[in-house]
Amino acid sequence: MPVYQRGYRSWDQSTKRGAPPWWAIARRGISSPLGSRRFMLLLMAALIPAVVKGGFLWFSWKMGDMGNLLTGGWTDITAVGFHHFLNTQMLFVAIVTTLVGSDLIAGDKREGGLALYLSRPLSVRDYVFGKGLINLFYYFMVTLFPALAICIFGYLVTRGSTGMDMLFLIPIQTVSYCLFAGTVLSLTLLAISAMGTRKVFVSLWWVLLLLGTEAISQVFCFINPWLRVISFTEMIHNAGHIFYGTGTTILISPYASLAIVTAWGVGAFLVLRKKIRPVEVVS
Amino acid sequence: MSAILKTERVSKWFGEVIAVNDCTLNAGPGVTGLLGLNGAGKTTLFKMLAGLINPSHGEVLLFDRKLRRDSEVFRKVGFCPESDALFDWLTGYEFLVLMLRLMGFSGDELEQACRGALATVGLTDAADKRIGSYSKGMRQKIKMAQALAHNPDVILLDEPLNGMDPVSRRDIVRLIEQLGQQGKCVIVSSHILPEIETMTRSIILIHNGKLLAEGDVTEIREAIDDHPTVVAISSPQTRKLALIIAAKELVAGVEVDQNDVIIRTDHAAAFYKELPGWLLENGLEVTSIRTLDDSLQAVFEYLTGDHYGHK
Repeated sequence: MPVYQRGYRSWDQSTKRGAPPWWAIARRGISSPLGSRRFMLLLMAALIPAVVKGGFLWFSWKMGDMGNLLTGGWTDITAVGFHHFLNTQMLFVAIVTTLVGSDLIAGDKREGGLALYLSRPLSVRDYVFGKGLINLFYYFMVTLFPALAICIFGYLVTRGSTGMDMLFLIPIQTVSYCLFAGTVLSLTLLAISAMGTRKVFVSLWWVLLLLGTEAISQVFCFINPWLRVISFTEMIHNAGHIFYGTGTTILISPYASLAIVTAWGVGAFLVLRKKIRPVEVVS
Repeated sequence: MSAILKTERVSKWFGEVIAVNDCTLNAGPGVTGLLGLNGAGKTTLFKMLAGLINPSHGEVLLFDRKLRRDSEVFRKVGFCPESDALFDWLTGYEFLVLMLRLMGFSGDELEQACRGALATVGLTDAADKRIGSYSKGMRQKIKMAQALAHNPDVILLDEPLNGMDPVSRRDIVRLIEQLGQQGKCVIVSSHILPEIETMTRSIILIHNGKLLAEGDVTEIREAIDDHPTVVAISSPQTRKLALIIAAKELVAGVEVDQNDVIIRTDHAAAFYKELPGWLLENGLEVTSIRTLDDSLQAVFEYLTGDHYGHK
């Protein structure tokens, strides 16, 4: 029925409420990339390391030589191995989040979407939360979900021989670490996205932050090992030792890394608060 | 008239620039035009009414509730932005679904509201096309649809007829009029006066950041003392008519122009009340009576001291 034939209803605050508005934003943002076949192929490619890790687990179990698995590499099934595995996924994290997240706010700023969103019953907090969930979901898709799948697979294949570690401890450690790292990464990407209106600009800065700082730190750490601090991903990885209860291999304390990464997250949050305005005001 | 949307001494400044200065207004049911020259503060005021900018001072109240501090109030607001940019990668239907979900719609209610809004603006056939492929007029229509789909009580339309073809323009003007007649509070911002004039006689006029006038165009015109109202009466007896009218106290001046008698009066309402009596008493025949300067254009020019469109 056309709107003008529906009649006037006065405000009585009884409007039916469905899902929260941030969920509408997250849902749209999560489902959009899934329509692309290329993106789906990329997601599947991101699962290959997890499949390989699962394969190693299976073969080792079949060969009855579980002890050889505990070698500290990304294929082993200890806390160290899972922590390492998540770090090796960083390349996929960089690619997937660049594709999904770089235009999340920049696109809205470019296309006037902020005015449309914020003239509705949602706050800036809802908006950021909804957008952040999109990044977080895809970060989980290439890190947390495969890691948890390996845990389940490992526990089932080994018929419980991997013990409580595989059933409870590693999943809890992995969830905690991924939540921490994913939140900081998600907020940082949103903040960079909020600072520009061009996807290319945002993508470049994001890749530079994730991979560029790592490359630079690899070079400069030969001059001074403390310069590892330049690497954003290294700091996240190093902070992960706290979650997994493992020892760091660099000079910087995991707690210092945790503080640095948390500061990144807080900084990103402050940028978002400053940069997200419903309209661009020209004085 | 009961006010649905109110501003109480609202001001907005950006650094040292005052965009809106101490503006108090009330908008009730019906269509109201928000007018102003470029840079008058019209856009800033409109964005404050839509809750997109917080006032530096004062309050914007919707149903006596404070905007922006009470986001639930936005469930009853439909906002159509001026910006032509939209989510080009979505279809018209997907766009409306997203906008309605943000309003809390779901299930059948969402589907109905979505299809209804598309039908209202005449975009049913284009619902499954991407917005990126829409013409400018269609983009305007989909923006209108998202503003109306949730059946809001307050509808804020920023330059709603931009880029529309004449047929679509007529349809949308008719729709806006109908919304006003239903008792919804419709505020239309535009810098094209004839556009506003086709929709309403009720205006809010802002100039140099200040509220210059608010109300019915004819009433505002009458309140402008330094510009007498100009009335043209067509008659086959122009000389006799001019002679009789000129003698009346309410008349400030009379001219004869071919078949018209051009009369200037400072008391238009009283003049119109007395005129039929004078004509009957003297057996004067008239073919038409027209007020030449109570148009929106004239009122605007008198109030701002500018020729609209020349700035």
